[in-house]
Amino acid sequence: MRKKLTVIPERCSGCRVCELVCAISHTGVNNPKKANIRVISLYPHPVIKMPIVCEQCKKPKCRDACPTDAIVKNDGVVTILEDRCVSCHACVNACPIGAIFVHEDIEIPFKCDMCGGKPKCAESCPKKAILYVPEHTQGQAHRLGAALKYANMQEVEYYEHGVKKKLRYAEIETGGTRGDSE
Amino acid sequence: MSPEGGYHKKILHVDLTECKTHVETVSDEFALKYIGGRGWGARLVWEHMKDDVNPLGPDNIIVIAPGPLSGLYLPAAGKTSFCSISPATGIYGDSNLGGMFGVELRMAGFDAAIIKGKAPELSYLWIDDDDVQIKSAVKYMNMGSIETEHQLREDIGDETVKVATIGPAGENMVKMACITADWGRNAGRTGMGAVLGSKNLKAIAIRGTKDLPVADLPSLTRISDKAFKKLKQHNLFEFWQRQGLMSVIDYANASGIIPTHNFMDAHFDKAEEINGDVMELNYKIGDSACYSCPMACSNVNLVKDGKYAGTVIEGPEYETAAMFGSNVGISDFDAILRANYLCDEYGVDTISSGSLISVMIEAYEKGMVSLEDLDGVALKWGDDDAIMDLIRKIALREGVGDTLADGVYGVIKRWPQLAPLISHVKGLEQSAYDARIAITMALGYATSDIGAHHARAWPIAKELEMGGNWSLEEKADLVIYHQTVRPLFDMLGVCRLPWIELGFDENTYAEFYSAATGIEFTLDELLKRSDAVYNLTRAINIRLGLSRVDDKPPERVFNDPIKTGPHAGKALNREEFERILDIYYQRRGWDNDGIPTNETLKENGLEDVIEYMEQRRAGK
Ligand code: SF4
Ligand code: SF4
Repeated sequence: MRKKLTVIPERCSGCRVCELVCAISHTGVNNPKKANIRVISLYPHPVIKMPIVCEQCKKPKCRDACPTDAIVKNDGVVTILEDRCVSCHACVNACPIGAIFVHEDIEIPFKCDMCGGKPKCAESCPKKAILYVPEHTQGQAHRLGAALKYANMQEVEYYEHGVKKKLRYAEIETGGTRGDSE
Repeated sequence: MSPEGGYHKKILHVDLTECKTHVETVSDEFALKYIGGRGWGARLVWEHMKDDVNPLGPDNIIVIAPGPLSGLYLPAAGKTSFCSISPATGIYGDSNLGGMFGVELRMAGFDAAIIKGKAPELSYLWIDDDDVQIKSAVKYMNMGSIETEHQLREDIGDETVKVATIGPAGENMVKMACITADWGRNAGRTGMGAVLGSKNLKAIAIRGTKDLPVADLPSLTRISDKAFKKLKQHNLFEFWQRQGLMSVIDYANASGIIPTHNFMDAHFDKAEEINGDVMELNYKIGDSACYSCPMACSNVNLVKDGKYAGTVIEGPEYETAAMFGSNVGISDFDAILRANYLCDEYGVDTISSGSLISVMIEAYEKGMVSLEDLDGVALKWGDDDAIMDLIRKIALREGVGDTLADGVYGVIKRWPQLAPLISHVKGLEQSAYDARIAITMALGYATSDIGAHHARAWPIAKELEMGGNWSLEEKADLVIYHQTVRPLFDMLGVCRLPWIELGFDENTYAEFYSAATGIEFTLDELLKRSDAVYNLTRAINIRLGLSRVDDKPPERVFNDPIKTGPHAGKALNREEFERILDIYYQRRGWDNDGIPTNETLKENGLEDVIEYMEQRRAGK
């Protein structure tokens, strides 16, 4: 059974543990900017935090775009072959979600390789915002989320500099126990 | 001993007057002796300061210092200190913030930055790895902090750039102005934002791409993997993600230490309307964490209806909810969120402003100031409109706000009769923990090097837990222990919460530091260095004229017993406090006037400080 990485952005706190563990295990250096996963935080109203990770597409756009056939798909994992890559970045531009990365120190573009079947990001995420799930269940979380959101979707109206605006948000899971601390 | 990692050993110097920058390489000895973060900051302030320094003059420096562990793979490695001479207190001041800002500075290749001088026009600093430029920020004049951050990023054209900025309050040199980064994380205390404002520096934007040096990354990873696992297993871990510091409202109210109506009381009847459950059930729309932190103690909240609908803010945490809740008599969480938002956007510290606003309400209620003094607005407990308006007036220095913007000393200068109402130490407004039932908390506030701030020592929980039967000696030791271990976190550049809240072993930090630097360190060795830094900041303050009479808790702690709640009727005893202060000095190795003795300084490796202390002892 093939498994895939899936993200639940609503849960993400933007802590970047996923980036750190990815970079450390793939490049052996402490540098989140060398990770194969990236968390985008967008600050204006309201905060969005979105981990971006390769979807390992069935028909990879990155592969199609590559002029030297340096991108191949094996065992469900889309891989860039270093010796064939000429670093033209065609794949970087072709990926619809921006899941191929570049860094000045690294000659060829890099992307998620699923850690040989035990993805570190999913294992380390303290918020369970990255899941490693069987392919057929992929989308289930989103489907459920979409249905729930539809049911719980709320809207607020507010004024900013005298202009009326609307904001949509979903009610999130809640609960309550107590603890004491500073 | 030469560290193989942990440090780039580089400090960025920026002179805004000369419009020049240069990079200093620091020695191994300096790096290891002062560890980093506020340790480096304090030492650099000591070295650069003049005895007659004007905190808002071009000569004052401000040091931006993450620590040697900032940015590394370990829990909560995202703290950065800002150290300077405080315009609010006139003595040493520092404040820190979490998030991503300091990590980015480290990734640009610097362990710290020192800023001095004054730019000819409003400017910002753009650090793009090694390329450092001072650019015009005239376009961002009077812009709010959150908006400036967003706008700067957009103008630079890179969403990943990290920005620290001041709001209008900083530009107006309001003495409680903060430095804000990552959409509302604040270095709030001691007016560091005013220091940037006095330098005409609106913001610092950074893009860093470099690897952080680690001597033994495989060991660091091993220790950290274990640390993360341990934290995740703690039974309060998940609760922490959900409510963060907002859970403290219930604890503080039940314990009778929540500031209420300008610290007149320590119990708030309506605490249940502003607690963590209220936030979680009705306002929370997301979580937010500092760099590499599993706890994600920040909450993103939204006001969904009513007159503040559409207010979105990362926060509040306990201090803000208490200072703009119980302490000003507000029991409406919508209004607390709004106050938090306004403070963040204007760039005003929530503790200091919440405190002085409550002082004015009490003063007006007691007829100690006139309606005219308040620009014709009658102030009442819980009057959110008037309170929101005061926040704006402070930031923009309008009417009565102009006096409040000058902080504790400004208020006392104009209205000397209000002095007994203000809960402060050395000019810094007290944090949101009452000290009347805990002499250790009072001692911690009184002897804190920056003024009445809880982050230096928070012994109150322990004292409550221990009950009555322990000696003043033990109590003084507890305060000293806190004042040694807690600053260590600021020096390393990490957050203390995993240690305090999830019982994380502090010895692990010695392991992290050893793996990062490649030199074996024990916790004891680190604590010794932290202790030396405490003596150093003490020396800075003594050089600036501080003496024993300044080591006292807020007057209210002795004079006005708590009114209601579990500790109704209690107040601190003045003689007992003087006794514990004597014991504290003695245990610290300070003389009876609170000046570190020559032996103490020698032990701390602060030989060059001795001369100054001798001069003070000689009365010069
Ligand atoms: S580790 Fe999880 S919570 Fe943290 S940034 Fe990555 S996806 Fe978000
Ligand atoms: S890199 Fe982008 S295009 Fe290529 S497989 Fe991954 S998600 Fe698809």
